[in-house]
Amino acid sequence: MTSVTGITRRTALGLALGTGLVIGGAAGAWAQEDPVVIGYQLPLTGNTAQYGQDFKTAAEIALEDFNASGRLPVPVEIIFEDSRSDAKEGVNIARKFVDNDDIVAVLGDFTSTVSMAAAQVYKQAGMPQLSQTASHPDYARISPYQFRNITTQAQEGEVNANWLWERGFRKVAVIAEQTDWGQAVVQGFTAPFEEMGGEIVYSEFFNRGLPDFRSIITKIQRAEPDAIYTGLFYEDGAQFLKQMEQLGADIPVHSTSAAYNQKLVELAGPAADDLYLTATFLPTSEGEHVQEFVAAWKAARDGQEPGQFPAQAYDAVNIMLDAVVRAWPDVTRESMREALAATEDFPGVTGVTSFDEDGEPEKQMTRARIVDGVFVEVQ
Amino acid sequence: MSETDTVTDRPASAPKARARARLLQGGILLLLFALLPAVLVWFDRGYFYQLAMLALIFVLLAGSLHLVTGVAGLLHLGHAAFYGVGAYIAGLLAADHGIGFTIGLPLAGLGAAAIAFLVALPTMRLVSIYFAVATLAIGQMLFLVMQNWVAVTKGPNGVILFGGIDLFGLEIGSRLGIYYVVAVVVAVSIWVIHRLTDSYYGNALRSLREDDQCAGAMGLDTVRLKMEAFTIASFFAGIAGALWAYTTGYISPVDFDFFESILILAMVVVGGLGSLPGAILGALLLILLPEVLRDVGDVRNMLVGLVMFLSILFLPKGLFGEVPALALMRRHFDAAWPGAGERRVGWRG
Repeated sequence: MTSVTGITRRTALGLALGTGLVIGGAAGAWAQEDPVVIGYQLPLTGNTAQYGQDFKTAAEIALEDFNASGRLPVPVEIIFEDSRSDAKEGVNIARKFVDNDDIVAVLGDFTSTVSMAAAQVYKQAGMPQLSQTASHPDYARISPYQFRNITTQAQEGEVNANWLWERGFRKVAVIAEQTDWGQAVVQGFTAPFEEMGGEIVYSEFFNRGLPDFRSIITKIQRAEPDAIYTGLFYEDGAQFLKQMEQLGADIPVHSTSAAYNQKLVELAGPAADDLYLTATFLPTSEGEHVQEFVAAWKAARDGQEPGQFPAQAYDAVNIMLDAVVRAWPDVTRESMREALAATEDFPGVTGVTSFDEDGEPEKQMTRARIVDGVFVEVQ
Repeated sequence: MSETDTVTDRPASAPKARARARLLQGGILLLLFALLPAVLVWFDRGYFYQLAMLALIFVLLAGSLHLVTGVAGLLHLGHAAFYGVGAYIAGLLAADHGIGFTIGLPLAGLGAAAIAFLVALPTMRLVSIYFAVATLAIGQMLFLVMQNWVAVTKGPNGVILFGGIDLFGLEIGSRLGIYYVVAVVVAVSIWVIHRLTDSYYGNALRSLREDDQCAGAMGLDTVRLKMEAFTIASFFAGIAGALWAYTTGYISPVDFDFFESILILAMVVVGGLGSLPGAILGALLLILLPEVLRDVGDVRNMLVGLVMFLSILFLPKGLFGEVPALALMRRHFDAAWPGAGERRVGWRG
């Protein structure tokens, strides 16, 4: 940035604006300090809009509570920008956020692709970025400015490998969607499971939104595994479980926290019963934070229960707000990065979170199972 | 906009027409290389640089598709795949082999053209809707290769490019420098596409569109012409892909899926089939409008759709149709038929 001309121009602009404000807002409460501004890039339209809209609701709940709590003398503002899960738009927004000198940190994006593309801009500009969902194995390592609030598959895969081993499964079939995340699911599970002495008898990737899993299921049956480990989201999960039942395949199915969603039960019906999965968030959990969030979410969303992703977004926003408090009063992009990196044992609805030196979260995982259409904790 | 209806009393002499063309060309170059950069430097905002570069990249994509779909009349539903091939060649050369912009850019174009040539061999004898479905399949095939050939393309993990743009060993780091690189590459490419469009060669392609049997009877090698148009267009799509890869620093298969092909096709159709200025306007419209409408909120995409719908409804020949485009090229750019500047285009004259 050409600092000399930049400053003079900004000063000129500031003077012009200031004059207008003085004239226009003489009676207004203009002694109040400026709010702290955070950017949030997320898909509010397009194919993945349902996720982005959930994040926005979660962020609004978190922000409203925070601003009402009076933890800061000034309010915090979040600017939402719609990326449509399109890398072109994601990069545009990233540049826009970086241009805005008021913005001290950024949340988002939803998909890894957009988060990674935007991260290249944030890396150069030195803008801290916290994604609630970006799962690409290399995301947090792009630069010291990237953080995420989703467990990596290296962590989750190991928990699941132990769990399957404990249940006495030695031969496992692994299927996952053909995305960066699905790749990580398979790697994260396979490595520790084989190290324990387990065997992966079948492994297959499918493209997201596959309507027909029957050929995959038939091949799984032929491989005769003790259990199936799946890396899929609830839409694909429902299809898969229904078709498992139709084909009479009676093999225990395990999955990851991504499948955790009430809609899985709605879509799959009784076929969803006895799915085992790891989760970081259970709305049935009795923790105070969780119940507050669930109540606020139900109020905002006509009684619906929140899923895993809104909970992650809710925590990501709260982690960010907590970092603002710790950075206060000197809230800059650099101090925000340091405050985020120093996050330790943050008590959220998705468990207690700390960031390691790469910006990866360390979280507790809960083991869950669907019983009669309800996710219950497995002790 | 319709220049066909105006009649000038006095035919301009050839030197005069040439001088006017020079002036106009100079004006465009001035806009692209002096005025626009001046505006960008004045505002000094990364967002505007980004928009300018993205718009230029899509101008090139729409311009290249214009040659196949607009001029030669072949409905091409897989153009984004060749955009992706270029991006991947540039990306993988940079990430895995440390080969930079100077060599990577032409290789990206040539690679995309080579693949286009190979897949064109069996498809070019197909006509109309059969050709369209074949290109749809080609696009999907290439997309799936990028997505699933994990060992080479890194699959859905995408490719991170380290380092910026180097030009013959000279590192281009500043935003303005990168803008100039993109602008020069796009300007040269568009000039080549313009020369192909507004020439006897372009007219030969147009004759394929109107009636390829008749064109064949006149002695034109129709299959060869189609292959050439397809391959050349893919070359420029590959160049555009490389520009996207170098300027973004990260690519992944979903950047080049079917919807991207449709977006480019929409630019060409909205702008005006067969019109290069139209394709350019269409690209600018569909890249800049969603950004301008950002403040409107979640309905912005609907508004973009509405604008497209209305423009097709009221301007079915495009924002800048083929006939006015040809007239513009003849009268004001002294192109296509030198000396014929004042003769009217179309059947009325």
